[in-house]
Amino acid sequence: QRFRFCGDLDCPDWVLAEISTLAKISSVKLKLICAQVLRDLLGEAIEYDKILKLTSDAKLESGDVKATIAVLGFILSSAAKHNVDSESLSSELQQLGLPKEHASGLCRSYEEKQSSLQDRLRACSLRLSQLGSVRWRVDYTLSSSELQEVNEPVVHLTFNVRDRECEKMTAVPVTLSANKFQVLLAELKQAQTLMNTLL
Amino acid sequence: MLLVLSAEHRAHLGCLPRAGGAAIGELGRLALEQLRRGAAPRACETAARKLNVGVDTIQHGVEGLMYLLTESSKLMASIPFRKISEVDFQDSIHVLGFSDELNKSLLQLYLDNRKEIRSILGELVPRLPSYHSLEWRLDVQLASRSLRQQIKPAVTMKLHLNQNEDQTAQVLQTDPATLLHLIQQLEQALGEMKMNHCRRIVRNMK
Repeated sequence: QRFRFCGDLDCPDWVLAEISTLAKISSVKLKLICAQVLRDLLGEAIEYDKILKLTSDAKLESGDVKATIAVLGFILSSAAKHNVDSESLSSELQQLGLPKEHASGLCRSYEEKQSSLQDRLRACSLRLSQLGSVRWRVDYTLSSSELQEVNEPVVHLTFNVRDRECEKMTAVPVTLSANKFQVLLAELKQAQTLMNTLL
Repeated sequence: MLLVLSAEHRAHLGCLPRAGGAAIGELGRLALEQLRRGAAPRACETAARKLNVGVDTIQHGVEGLMYLLTESSKLMASIPFRKISEVDFQDSIHVLGFSDELNKSLLQLYLDNRKEIRSILGELVPRLPSYHSLEWRLDVQLASRSLRQQIKPAVTMKLHLNQNEDQTAQVLQTDPATLLHLIQQLEQALGEMKMNHCRRIVRNMK
């Protein structure tokens, strides 16, 4: 059976297996655990001790606690990935056997944070490099070893490029004559106009 | 298959009869710890003081035991051929000329820990880079400096690989047609597992 929150594919077996573990926790506590898992997905620190306290009533073993966090993480991020609305998510989770109160609690937490989650996932998408900043300076060349009177302006540009992976900034310096710089600027303005038509 | 113990190895193990029954247990434990975690000179010193023997003797004894256990575990197969490997082990240490009691303790030490030693030895193989994760992105090129009004889809992938705790990443880019071909080739490869030839081999290995 196909589920939208799994990207129109079958639900993975391990998710199916853990639904029954989720049902063991009370629906109120489940909503609080969801809040913690959402913090983790949004890049904030997860408070594992709080989760341990919340699951202590259900007498879950440590393996079950980790499985709970994993399955909630999967459901929430997968639903955000495929842009599933909270109603559909609730009905699909109930089809998988999650009790109604648990499903609605989960989906309410999801609904609050859906757009922040999607923003975060968009930011984490594959990206090879990123422009950090640009610095520039205009000089005027008076004279050189080749020609006594040069009298030409020159632009120095430094692009600070950030490598996505190691968070390192590399500086790429470029020096251009006035003509070259004008060509560069004209081309970039054309690209910008094209980009604006798409926004 | 019999183990051949070198003269030096035999000399190192020669300290065992002098050490006595309880000491064998202690030395055995030290040998296993050394296998799991590496050499522990402090532990050897403590043992030397407790047993009233020189540190060097203890060190040699532990190393000798460790080598004996790893060589036996390496060369002698386990469970299906159990009887044969027990006899082989006993014959191999017989040459050391130890008492029956000592031989029995050594055999017990080997049998108890054989499985664990084999799994440790199994992890020492050199490894090729293995798959860790794959990030992908689907883009469409709409225009370039030389040509406007294009539609050129491309899939960009970052393949994360693991090699002995080293993480490397490879960036790849392809058009959808090549990607479909790639998927088809990989599915064919997976499909090979279901062919009779592979099935027969897998059945025999189990």
